[in-house]
Amino acid sequence: MLKLKLEALGHPTPADVSLSNRKEFASTILWLEDQKIRLYTIEDREKLRNIDNPKMWEEGYLKYKADLNMPSLESQQEELAWILSHAVRLEFLDDPEQFASINSKQNSAQTNGKQTQQKIQSIFDGKINVQDKAFIDGVRLLASKLNVPHHPNHLLQLEAVARIVHERLSPAARGRQPIVGTPFPFDKGNDIVSSNDPALDLPMRILRLLQIQSLRQLQTHINETIVAVQNITANPKTDTKLGKVGR
Amino acid sequence: MVVRPYNDELKYLEKISDHCWRIKKGFQPNMNVEGCFYVNSRLERLMLEELKNSCRPGAVGGFLPGVKQIANVAALPGIVGRSIGLPDIHSGYGFAIGNMAAFDMDDPLSVVSPGGVGFDINCGVRLLRTNLYERDVQPVKEQLAQSLFDHIPVGVGSKGIIPMNARDLEEALEMGMDWSLREGYVWAEDKEHCEEYGRMLNADPAKVSMRAKKRGLPQLGTLGAGNHYAEIQVVDEIYDKWSASKMGIEEKGQVVVMIHSGSRGFGHQVATDALVQMEKAMKRDKIETNDRQLACARINSVEGQDYLKAMAAAANFAWVNRSSMTFLTRQAFAKMFNTTPDDLDMHVIYDVSHNIAKVENHIVDGKERKLLVHRKGSTRAFPPHHPLIPVDYQLTGQPVLVGGTMGTCSYVLTGTEQGMQETFGSTCHGAGRALSRAKSRRNIDYKEVLEKLDQIGIAIRVASPKLVMEEAPESYKDVTDVVDTCHAAGISKKCIKMRPIAVIKG
Repeated sequence: MLKLKLEALGHPTPADVSLSNRKEFASTILWLEDQKIRLYTIEDREKLRNIDNPKMWEEGYLKYKADLNMPSLESQQEELAWILSHAVRLEFLDDPEQFASINSKQNSAQTNGKQTQQKIQSIFDGKINVQDKAFIDGVRLLASKLNVPHHPNHLLQLEAVARIVHERLSPAARGRQPIVGTPFPFDKGNDIVSSNDPALDLPMRILRLLQIQSLRQLQTHINETIVAVQNITANPKTDTKLGKVGR
Repeated sequence: MVVRPYNDELKYLEKISDHCWRIKKGFQPNMNVEGCFYVNSRLERLMLEELKNSCRPGAVGGFLPGVKQIANVAALPGIVGRSIGLPDIHSGYGFAIGNMAAFDMDDPLSVVSPGGVGFDINCGVRLLRTNLYERDVQPVKEQLAQSLFDHIPVGVGSKGIIPMNARDLEEALEMGMDWSLREGYVWAEDKEHCEEYGRMLNADPAKVSMRAKKRGLPQLGTLGAGNHYAEIQVVDEIYDKWSASKMGIEEKGQVVVMIHSGSRGFGHQVATDALVQMEKAMKRDKIETNDRQLACARINSVEGQDYLKAMAAAANFAWVNRSSMTFLTRQAFAKMFNTTPDDLDMHVIYDVSHNIAKVENHIVDGKERKLLVHRKGSTRAFPPHHPLIPVDYQLTGQPVLVGGTMGTCSYVLTGTEQGMQETFGSTCHGAGRALSRAKSRRNIDYKEVLEKLDQIGIAIRVASPKLVMEEAPESYKDVTDVVDTCHAAGISKKCIKMRPIAVIKG
């Protein structure tokens, strides 16, 4: 994630920023202040410039954190993450117009939420007000019982709950034969996940597996349809009298 | 053809990695792109020797050496990327067998060439698995081979035992494997595990000559002659346990059946008819090629489109053919073991085509482009998560079935991302000839060949034993060399090795 933010800010070598090295960290902070945040005037950045003198630099950094109003964080990684987010925010506020097109996608996500609302509303046939506090509390409670992660939109959360109930708890699911055979280990496929960032690797694998699962369902439906048709049309014949072995 | 001394020819060739050579422009006239070929040290020697022999003064007649053919293909209009030779390459009509080339569909000058598909259109390999083990089959091997031989007619002039009339054939040409499904010869899951889902949608039987249909009708459901065969094989080695398990191969010793066949006389006639048409089109459109055998037509011309539609019909014929033989194989096994094909778990692992031209999307120079990909003696090998491979193989990559030579071994490989980038998702198809048919007939005695097979415990049923030396292992390159080269070059990955215990041949 840090790498992505550095990339977005146009850092020259986003892949090489290592957190183990304090000096590397210091130079990244300086780069952010010089290029993006510009909290101080150029003269005031003098202390931060002392990357080769750790004592001076740490002093300057302590003051810098206070001046940025950074909350007290525990690790160097968290601090960098916070400063990066801050820089991204400043960058965005410089010219929000430039990112307007990206907003449209968020809009579609919102309309998606609206659709969910309408869909659920129609299921309840207007008999229940889905925005009612009691309803929301009920969904949240149900979600926490089923370990569904929190989502700001309780209706999306309700959809997730419905899915779990459908796949795990419904009578049909309970009566289903358990899947036999050796499971295919998650990470043993020949597929390469292009990112070398483990924080992206895992979610990508999960998304791909979900995609494969839904494709499998589709293919199974197709096969079932073919078999249903075969029950009507199939009439395989052979006639050994026709056969002739060549020379 | 340019004739230069061998040492001058070598200046145009450059070894760019352990397993890949570059053919520079100028090796043959008018090359639009460079060529390349994949070899290991042994195959490299064969390649260069062939070139050397053709450079001797007074060497005339026969096919051009493979390297020259790759370069001639690189001179065809509209070719993109590189003209690629796979490790099993050997000289063929126009294109070498084991040469793949892609042409830009959006370039109006791009061509389609029947020589780039081959005469046996959609020749391919299908692999069926069973839940039997070697110990179950060894005692009844001879009977099983005989039973297969009785069910699947083989040899030149053989006729199939599935009754068909002219109307059935028309429908089969249009529908491909869907016809076999409708008639109940195959299972729904077979379609899923077949390249192109066993049906090319642009097939048009009206573009196929009467002559081709007449030749094709009685031959449906027959294996044919030449290098075609049906083999009962046992799993000898598993290199990639997880991918193998996705294919239903759990342990060494498991029995599988490999069927290698194509579109018989039907495809041959379609190709022959097209070549005549294309020569006319070349004259009209002033298309120049380095070799007369590289007859071609613009993709968008009438001749080009007619050929693609007829070729698709021939491809459908081949799938129906392999499906019919799948049905017959299942029958033979079920009778022998007194059970049903279902209980023997006789599923199709995969079905590959290795003589075909297909429209595919590939990334060329960072941009997605629509290409007409010719694969002649080359198998498609798509990487994991490619939308055109079955859902069951999304994590492993497409299975690539590589049939060996009679009496040697066969392999299953999987497609890789690197292959997608370097070779348009293509890899080798088999062993590849080292001696011409005529030469093998002269040099090898058929009785010896049969004895040798008997000694290593392979049951064999063959329709014309006197031609069997054409297919003797000595006539071919070593399939293990070929497969190892593809694996080492990274264009596909080794998964399973099988060895035969019974062979049915034409």
